[in-house]
Amino acid sequence: MSRTEVLAHQSSAVGSSTASLSYDPDIQHCIQCGNCSGICPTGFAMEFPPSKIIAALRAGIYTNVTKSDSVWMCIACSACTTACPTLIPITELLMAQTKEELILAGNVPVELQSALENSHRYGNPMGESPRKRAEWVETVDFPVPVLDKETPDVDFLWFVGDYGSYHSSVIPATIAFAKILNLLNINFGILGNQESSDGDSQRLSGEKGLFEMLAEKNAKIFEKFNFKEIITTDPHAFNAFKNAYPEIGISYPARHYSQFLYEKIDQLKPLLTKKVNARVTFHDPCYLGRVNGIFEEPRALINAVPGVEYVEMFHNHQNSLCCGGGGGGMWLDGFQWKKTHARSSEWRIKEAVDAGADIMVVACPYEKPRFQDAVKNVPGAEKMAILDLSELLLAAME
Amino acid sequence: MGEKIGVYVCHCGSNIAGVVDVEEVARWAKEKFPEVTVSRDYKFMCSSPGQELIENDIKDLGLTRVVVAACSPHLHEKTFRGACQRAGLNPYFFEMASIREQVAWVTKDKLQATIKSKALVDGAIRRVINHESLEPIKVDITADTLIVGGGVAGIQAALEIADSGSHVILVEREPSIGGHMAQFDKTFPTLDCSACILTPKMFDIGNHPNITLLTWSEVESVDGYVGNFEIKIRKKARMVIEDLCTGCLVCQEKCPKRVIDDVYEVGMAKRKAIYVPFPQAVPNKPVLDTENCTFFQTGKCQVCQKVCPTGAIDYEQKDQLLEFKVGNIILATGYDLFDARRIPQYGYGKLPNVITSLEFERLTNASGPTNGEILLADGRKPETIAVVHCVGSRDKNYNEYCSSICCMQSLKFAHLAREKTGAQVYNFYIDIRTPQKDYEEFYNRILDEGTLFIRGKVGEITNIPRTAEEEGKLIVQAFDTLAGIQRRIPVDLVILSAALEPRSDSVEVGKLFGIACGAQGWMIERHPKLDPVATMTEGVFIAGCAQGPKDIPASVSQGAAAAARVISKIQQGQVLLEPIRASIDENRCSGCRICNNLCPFTAITFDEIKEVSSVNVALCQGCGTCVAACPAGAISGTHYSDKQILSQIEGILDPALQLSK
Repeated sequence: MSRTEVLAHQSSAVGSSTASLSYDPDIQHCIQCGNCSGICPTGFAMEFPPSKIIAALRAGIYTNVTKSDSVWMCIACSACTTACPTLIPITELLMAQTKEELILAGNVPVELQSALENSHRYGNPMGESPRKRAEWVETVDFPVPVLDKETPDVDFLWFVGDYGSYHSSVIPATIAFAKILNLLNINFGILGNQESSDGDSQRLSGEKGLFEMLAEKNAKIFEKFNFKEIITTDPHAFNAFKNAYPEIGISYPARHYSQFLYEKIDQLKPLLTKKVNARVTFHDPCYLGRVNGIFEEPRALINAVPGVEYVEMFHNHQNSLCCGGGGGGMWLDGFQWKKTHARSSEWRIKEAVDAGADIMVVACPYEKPRFQDAVKNVPGAEKMAILDLSELLLAAME
Repeated sequence: MGEKIGVYVCHCGSNIAGVVDVEEVARWAKEKFPEVTVSRDYKFMCSSPGQELIENDIKDLGLTRVVVAACSPHLHEKTFRGACQRAGLNPYFFEMASIREQVAWVTKDKLQATIKSKALVDGAIRRVINHESLEPIKVDITADTLIVGGGVAGIQAALEIADSGSHVILVEREPSIGGHMAQFDKTFPTLDCSACILTPKMFDIGNHPNITLLTWSEVESVDGYVGNFEIKIRKKARMVIEDLCTGCLVCQEKCPKRVIDDVYEVGMAKRKAIYVPFPQAVPNKPVLDTENCTFFQTGKCQVCQKVCPTGAIDYEQKDQLLEFKVGNIILATGYDLFDARRIPQYGYGKLPNVITSLEFERLTNASGPTNGEILLADGRKPETIAVVHCVGSRDKNYNEYCSSICCMQSLKFAHLAREKTGAQVYNFYIDIRTPQKDYEEFYNRILDEGTLFIRGKVGEITNIPRTAEEEGKLIVQAFDTLAGIQRRIPVDLVILSAALEPRSDSVEVGKLFGIACGAQGWMIERHPKLDPVATMTEGVFIAGCAQGPKDIPASVSQGAAAAARVISKIQQGQVLLEPIRASIDENRCSGCRICNNLCPFTAITFDEIKEVSSVNVALCQGCGTCVAACPAGAISGTHYSDKQILSQIEGILDPALQLSK
């Protein structure tokens, strides 16, 4: 069979995107070493981890993959992509496209399905009312400017994100960052109810179309205002603005708030007067560290807090261990628990216990609720505090 | 014109004739140029009958110029020049048109290929008419040879040349020769003891009347050209007068300062501040490490001086700059081991019982830190061991290439570990590569011994247990690609078969000797198949791992091969240099000296009295840089005159050929 015949055969069998996957020049590099599936934190529970999907593509039995639900164990942590010796963009290409195939085949866990539907209908995966997105602003006693026709110009546009806006355990972190911005006299504004989900996790759970819709919705709002740069408190939004939005023609300079605060560290230091006498560790978020190479800024900020004794967990920096929330993992907890009866967030907390940490600092809104749940289930972690980077800094200020 | 030109178009089997209409090219050449006396096409011009064809035509038809349209001149220019010479024609009355590499191999379009072939032949004919008769430059060859690097490749090369009766200067950076092989325990596939087979050769080096051994020394500068290199070598101060030292090593025994040995013992054991790296070192004369010596750091101690029975310790000793003249150079500078810390998920440097291949060699070596006992960091015996293949090799994040030795080395580790400890050994591999004699048989032997093989590149190594079985163990997590499942294997010891990398300074060392390194950093050979130990610089050869990763048999072969090339040069006595050189017309030279600094071979000097520049023909390599740069047009390149080049361009761009598209 010639190559064109193989292509035609495959596309008639399992859809055209499959054929494009199997002949994608990146995927052809695969030497079937299995490194991706070996390093995968959920690989133990996958019938088709990445290398086996590629093997199935090559054998022309990709339908076996789309019939299985094992790809929904993928939490898009990019450990596989970082380790791949032939530099295949596994997370972005192979896994996201395979998830798309599963969605097309109707093979989607109900909880993920509803998060995706919510994102489509309400602009956030939780199905909260878009009108309540900026409700947290009303609870604070300092100004949090919401951009509108009267105030369209600002230095920094702060993209608050879904969990930072709605989730009860993340809102304190949001408020802490808002307070720090005020203390530093930053000229900033938020989008309030005009903001929609950044869409990155929806994209990496296979809903590229939904991602594009949300991105365009946000882009329309961005266009209305003048700002120098976007600051995000969510690494997933940071990844979206830095890497994914430009691919569809939406380009704004963006930074994660740890980068932004690190730049202001000389201004911050005199404010950090109160000692935090604790052993502190930092959990590198996948989309801040491994994917975008930001490792030292959050650590430098933590070390600027007086009294802190910094400790490192076993998995750190590029080799960090995912909290389990990425790539749709936030919306697959029930499904994944049923499959594995294990949670990577609990493994992570165990590492923090082993490192002797009193406080685990996080810098991603997915992490706080996940780790706060996990500390309840890990022996020895009962007293461990999970604090957002902003919360730790603020604790040293007040 | 009066020239009688013979044009020969080669089929190269179907390499050229499959794409180019060779008969048409030959017919056209005869038709177009009245000077073309004869024009032929032939199946293999480089064959004996092909060459005889040219020779007979020169003799019978009185040809005065020859053009061959065939492969690249890189391959066969010499061949056809030889044919011309044998028939009594000056070899420089020959020109080659590359219609294989530049035409047939780069297109499938037969019409265009034939047109381009005609254009190249047209240029060659017009050029060859303007050729001049040239004589090669003869230079005497100095019989002495410099060999850089005293590992097994350099040792082999030195002994071959020295045994043939010529003198060798062997330079080694470390205090002793022996290289990496001196660190190894057993060697695959025969499992004979590395030291047992290496030390006799080392001894021979130290005692050979034809070998000047300079250890603790480095080459500082290289000038000159093939046959006549001038070398400066820095002999670092040993603080030991070698003529007085008897090698009794009382100084080493009594020295109170212990230092971690990062080189020979790869950080696993300590040595003294005055030391020989290992008992069989050659020369068996110590070196004083001034950076760690108590006397040099604090001004107090001097124990070594007090105990030395022959008064050989000299704290005032200075580096010496030694000068040598040599005819040929062999670089056998070896490899560095990949730093496994660069793969964070393997935990090397963080987990105490994750060690590298070289560390395991020391651990299992009877002269090593544990006297050859394979022990864990806490002194226990391992019950399960993992050997991880391809660490930093076959991985585009680090080194794309296969390090070639790791499979066999890892099989050897499995054998030694099992033999000495009775441990269960797991080898994690991507592919097992055993392509040399008796290697596959060795693999079979290791399989028979009960080593377990898991096909899958290791994902990560941790000490974080998830089950009771994993408590207190290292856990090697990998996808078993044959079983199709992720596996977690609890082990006590992990051996990382780390990649071989070019020496960290290989590019600078290459530059010093005028040779290039490839993208990965290995030194580049003249031809990967047909000239693997020569380089693009005449008189400079390479051997062993400096050229690319290889095992001991291959390193020894290359050392011997490089020696054979050098011995052949020495026996010729003279070297013929291409007469393709720049020459300066003194009348047109304005003395601006622009060329002086541009010349990459420092072949141009300035005559202060005449106020003009002149070219040293022996140094000049004919690169043409000065020719292009001279603002007065005073420099011309022999065999590359303006007239020759412009007539060739006219031919290639002949509008008649462009139109025939």
